[in-house]
Amino acid sequence: MENIKSRIIHAFEIVAALMMAAMFATFILQVTIRYTARAEWIKEIFPFLDPTLYGWTLDFCLLMWIWMVFWGNGLIVRQRDHVIFDMLYTSVSPKIRKWLAIISALIIAITLLIVIEPTWSKFYILRLKKTATLSNVFGDWIRVRDIYMVFFIFCIAVSIRYFYRAYYVYKNSAEFDLLYSDADEINSSSENKNVL
Amino acid sequence: MSYEFIICLILLFSLSAIGTPIAYAIFVGSCAYLWVGGQGIGLAGKVILDGLYSSFILLAVPLFIVAANIMNAGTISDRLLSFCVAVVGRFKGGLGHVNVVASIIFSGMSGSAVADAAGIGKIIINMMVKSGHYTRGYAAAITAASATIGPIIPPSIPMVLYALVSNSSIGYLFLGGIIPGILMGAVLMAMNSLIAIKRGYEPEESVPLQELPKITFNAFPALLMPIILLYCIYGGVTTPTEAAAVAAFYALILASIFYRALSFSNFYRILVESARSSAAVGLVIGGALILNYIVASENIPDIIAGYLVGLDVSPLLFLIGVNILILLLGCILDATTLILVIIPLFLPSCRELGIDFVHFGVVAVVNCMIGLITPPYGVLLFVINAVSRIPLGEIIKEVIPFLFVLIIALFMMVSIPDLVLWLPRQFGYEG
Repeated sequence: MENIKSRIIHAFEIVAALMMAAMFATFILQVTIRYTARAEWIKEIFPFLDPTLYGWTLDFCLLMWIWMVFWGNGLIVRQRDHVIFDMLYTSVSPKIRKWLAIISALIIAITLLIVIEPTWSKFYILRLKKTATLSNVFGDWIRVRDIYMVFFIFCIAVSIRYFYRAYYVYKNSAEFDLLYSDADEINSSSENKNVL
Repeated sequence: MSYEFIICLILLFSLSAIGTPIAYAIFVGSCAYLWVGGQGIGLAGKVILDGLYSSFILLAVPLFIVAANIMNAGTISDRLLSFCVAVVGRFKGGLGHVNVVASIIFSGMSGSAVADAAGIGKIIINMMVKSGHYTRGYAAAITAASATIGPIIPPSIPMVLYALVSNSSIGYLFLGGIIPGILMGAVLMAMNSLIAIKRGYEPEESVPLQELPKITFNAFPALLMPIILLYCIYGGVTTPTEAAAVAAFYALILASIFYRALSFSNFYRILVESARSSAAVGLVIGGALILNYIVASENIPDIIAGYLVGLDVSPLLFLIGVNILILLLGCILDATTLILVIIPLFLPSCRELGIDFVHFGVVAVVNCMIGLITPPYGVLLFVINAVSRIPLGEIIKEVIPFLFVLIIALFMMVSIPDLVLWLPRQFGYEG
C-alpha cells in the first residue's frame, strides 16, 4: 500500500517537473529564435528554425504556468508548503488545534466541492473560445476551456485530500498530510515555505 | 462597504487565524462574497484563471525560483562566498562584512530573500560559528538582516508581484532597487563594524594575496551573472521575464558543465521543488486576483483615496503613515499577502497625491522585506531557525540593532525619492 502510494506521488511529481522543464525550455527557445530570426541564412540552412513556426511559445508558457499552479496545488504541494498564518494555531493546546485543523480542512473541502458545478457552467461558454496560438501545437480542437480543465482536477484533488485530512486528524493528531508521511515531515526543513 | 463584503472579511480573517492556508482562506471568503451578493460562485474560478492566464510577467516567478535553486545546489553560492572571504574577511568583524557583501552579490542573481538565507546564509552561519569569534545568535541575525537585500537589488520576485498589481514597469522598478539595496548593505555593514568594535570581534586570518587570483577565477563566471542579467534587461536583449529564464539557463550551464556540481537527479529534484514552491505562490497570487476584484468592485481603494484627499495630507506624511502601517502589518503578515492584497489598497491614493509608483513600489518592497525579519511572524527568522537549528529567541535578540538601521534606511528612501528614482531617470524614466 505504502509502495503504491509513493509511486503515485512520484508520478505526480514527474508530471510537475516536466511542466517546469517544458516552460523553461520554451523560454530559452523563444529567446534563441528571436536572435536566429535576424539572420536570413539560418532560416535557409535550417528550415525548422523559421521564426514563423514559433508563434506559440508565449501561449504555451502560460498554459504550463496555469497547469503547474493547479496541478501542483492539487497533487504535490504539502500542507506545510502553503503560506499559513500559524501564530494562533500553534499556540493553542493540541486538543483545540486538532479541532481547528478539522474545521479548516472541512471548510476547504466542502467549498472546493461546491464550486465545481457553477464553475463548470461558467466555463461552458469558453468551449467556443479559441486560444491565440496554441492550435499550432496541439491541433485545431483546442479551446480555452480545455486549458482551464485543470481547475477541476485541482478542485477534486484538494477536496479529497482535505476530507481525508479531516478524517485522519480526527482519528490521530493535527500533524498530518495525506501525500507525505510524518517521517518526511521531520526530515524536511521549511526552506520551501516561502519564496520571497 | 456592503454586507457581503463584511462576511467575506470575517470568513477570511477567522479562517486564516485558525491555520487555514491563506490562499484557501481568501478563496472561501471570496466565494461567500459572490454567493451572498448573488453573482454566482463560478466567477471565482474564472477570475483567477483569466488573471493567471493573461499575466505574462508572472512567468518570471517560477523561473527565478528555478534559477535560485540551481545556484544553491550547484556550489555557485559556495564559490561566491570564498571570494567574499578573500576580499573583505580581513577587516574587523570580517565574516559579518562577508555575509553582507555576499548577500549583495547574490541578490544580483536571485530574486528571493529566502533563497539567500537558505543557501549562502546556511553556509556562512556555520563559518561564523566555527570561527569562534561570534555568537550563534549574532551570526544568524546578520544573515537574516542581509538576506532582506536579496529582492531589492534586481532581479526580484516581490517587485514582479508589485508590477502586476500596480501596472508599473518592471524594468524601472528593478533599476530603482539598486541604490536602495546598496544603501541597506552599507547601513548593515556600519552596524556590524560598530558591534565588532564594541564587542572586540577579531578579524579572520587574511587570505594570502597570491591566492586571490585563483579564488577570483573560480568565482568569476558566477560574478558575471548579475552583469549578464542587467545587460539582458536593459540592453534590450530580452524582456525581464525572459531574463529570468536566461539566468536559470546560465546557472544550469555553470553548475552542470563548468563546475560539474549538478547531477541529473539533482536537477530533477530542483525542478520538483521549484514547481512546488511556484504552485504554492501561484495559488496565493490567484487568491489575490479574486480578492482584488472584489475590493475593486467595492470601490475600497477609491474610498480610502477620497478620505485621504479630504484630510488634506501631504504626500510625505501619507508615505510615512503607510510605511508605519506596513511595518506593523509586516510583524504579523506574510510579504506575499502584503504586496498582493494590502498595497493595492493605497495605489489610488498615491495617484491622487502625485506619488510616483516606482518610488512607492521600491519603498513598499523594502518595507515588506524588513517585515520578513520582524518578530513574531518573520519568515526569514523561521527559515534560518529551520536550516541552522539556532533558537529563535537568540536570533531575535541580536536582530534588533540591524532592524533599527534598516528602518532608518527605509525612512531615508521615503523622504529622499531621488535615492530610488535617480537611476531609473538616467535610463529615461519620466517620473
